[in-house]
Amino acid sequence: MYRKTKLTAVAVIVTLLFLFGIITGCGGGNTGVQEDTIKIGFLGAKTGGHAAYGIPTLNGMKLAVEDINAAGGLLGQQVVIIEDDHRSQSSEGATVTQKLITQGVVAIVGDPTTGITKIAAEIAQGAGVVLVSAGAVGEGVVEIGDYIYRDTLLDKLAAPVVTKYLKEELGWEKVALVTSTNNDYSVGLSELFRTSLDEYGMEIVAEQSIQDGDQNFSAQVTALSKKEFDGIIFTGYYTEGGLFMKEVRAQGLDQVMVGGDGLLASVLWELGEDAVEGSMVYTGFAADPEGATGKTLEFINKYQEKYGELPDMFAAQGYDAVMLIADAIKAAESADPAKFKETLRQTTNWEGVSGTITFGPDREPIKSPVYLLEVKDGGWAIKAVLPVEI
Amino acid sequence: MDDFLKQFINPYYLQVLMLLGIYLIAALGLHLITGVTGQLSFGHAAFLSVGAYGAALLNIHLDLPFLLCLLAGGLLAALAGVFVGFPSMRLSGDYLGIATLGFCEIIRVVFMNLEITGGARGLAGIPRETNLLTVYILVILTIVTIYRLQNSRFGRALVAIREDEIAAECMGIRSIWYKVGAFAIGSFCAGVAGGLYAHMLQYLNPADFGFVRSFELLCFIVLGGLGSISGAILGTTILTLAPEMLRFSAEYRMMMYGTLMVAMMIFRPRGLLGGVDLRRLIRSSFRSRDRDTTTPAGG
Repeated sequence: MYRKTKLTAVAVIVTLLFLFGIITGCGGGNTGVQEDTIKIGFLGAKTGGHAAYGIPTLNGMKLAVEDINAAGGLLGQQVVIIEDDHRSQSSEGATVTQKLITQGVVAIVGDPTTGITKIAAEIAQGAGVVLVSAGAVGEGVVEIGDYIYRDTLLDKLAAPVVTKYLKEELGWEKVALVTSTNNDYSVGLSELFRTSLDEYGMEIVAEQSIQDGDQNFSAQVTALSKKEFDGIIFTGYYTEGGLFMKEVRAQGLDQVMVGGDGLLASVLWELGEDAVEGSMVYTGFAADPEGATGKTLEFINKYQEKYGELPDMFAAQGYDAVMLIADAIKAAESADPAKFKETLRQTTNWEGVSGTITFGPDREPIKSPVYLLEVKDGGWAIKAVLPVEI
Repeated sequence: MDDFLKQFINPYYLQVLMLLGIYLIAALGLHLITGVTGQLSFGHAAFLSVGAYGAALLNIHLDLPFLLCLLAGGLLAALAGVFVGFPSMRLSGDYLGIATLGFCEIIRVVFMNLEITGGARGLAGIPRETNLLTVYILVILTIVTIYRLQNSRFGRALVAIREDEIAAECMGIRSIWYKVGAFAIGSFCAGVAGGLYAHMLQYLNPADFGFVRSFELLCFIVLGGLGSISGAILGTTILTLAPEMLRFSAEYRMMMYGTLMVAMMIFRPRGLLGGVDLRRLIRSSFRSRDRDTTTPAGG
């Protein structure tokens, strides 16, 4: 029994030591502000559900920083990236944002998702640090404050451009609109398409609702098969998109589908096989080593050399976010967020690797061009590069 | 208040400490349900989300004072606790665990589809009201309340139910009322914690309140030692701070976190403070050492 007391006493001492370790460990994490570097924070997931967006963003950022430093740095100082992982969790997203700010970053690039961007934006705005999201497309992000920006292609700009192309180049007059009603992205995008279809005088002859997670679309497709239309506008995600088109072909219809970047995944043709051949998807960036020129080509080559794969949209936007911040700092001749947020705001017709960016009066990005991709032999092919007119 | 504190503590620690306090309140609620009463609950995140959304919506739409919102959030969660409590109290052990897991998923899906909660897009625009002082006053309040409760007639009845429900019934304890009571109080704590969480992050998303969060809370109290308040506090503190402390290890962070948990369970199978009564331990160290004073406190 005496031994047992000793054992518990040891256990308590060990845990106390551990706690002490935690406290000192936390203290060690704080490196303080150094004067000779300009720090840019990366906010995103390197593990967890959103890692597929976070890692390419970080890769793109690293490439941008290399380019900046190779050209002599910024205001005579080297640029470094402070990175941390939030495991795709909101609460850790807030903690990481605070940590980055404590470590003296002047700007944060991230998060690729709208939700965590909103959390981080509140903190960054309060602390007076510029935040550029390289992925958030949802509503209500830049409205949080004048330190908050994003460099993504917004659906409200892309939908009219794509609609115009469908009407003028492909000669579509009548379309069928398919919406996934339990998917907010889909509901919002359908609303945008409805407006732009109306604007260009195109007619929606049939509207069908599906649900994310549905497997069988025979009822919806049967309803469509009784109408005549030139093509299908599908605003949902790739899984349903692939299966839906399979059913469309099974019932003998030959129309193709057009959708937003919710369809942008190889799963689309893995599930849809031949049925999705010719279907079109729009996106803010597509790596095309043959067709690309200038800056973009250079970026694609460098990225491929360094990481052994073609850059995706997140990588290009991560690169552009860092470059946008760097150019704003150069123009302001100051790394003080309060100063360079003003020059960032004046960004007009800025040439990036993912296109041309202008921040509009509401500080939302106006981005050109829109890449329209087509499924060809089980892969993406660029069908058209559509300019966005301001 | 926050601005005042920021002069002494850097905002990153402040954030971590607030999160810790919030988890402490939620974990103490679960401690009452699982640790004291012995009812396995995998649905604690659901009560957290009810409190969070309740408090946030009241604040946004009715502009009620913050503390009132917290209270209302807590009460809503308690109501949800009673609501799940009654039908599921016929179940016990693993079966109850699965029922609460199902409830957790239902709540999440409901919040995912409701218009007023912002659906899958999440709820933004919640004012930042939570500060360190409020959180820790509530933590202390919770600790004192749970401690007093545990040593009251009500608390002893709960322990009796945990140890042997049939024997407790024979002694005249209406176990269903006590169990539902424990669920209500535990959920109330979770609801208050949820309200604080909402007003700290200023944005809620149903995806944050999945069963993973429930398991996390359960780990806190199991690792600390089931049935002991100090254990729940220690477990929560270690498991909340460990991921932050382990940041230096970058990609290996969560692996080390897992290793830490496995190691703790191997060396202290009943939890860090399982079977340890801190008061007795402290007292015994002052007394003569040859007397046995460390009889395990059960559980």
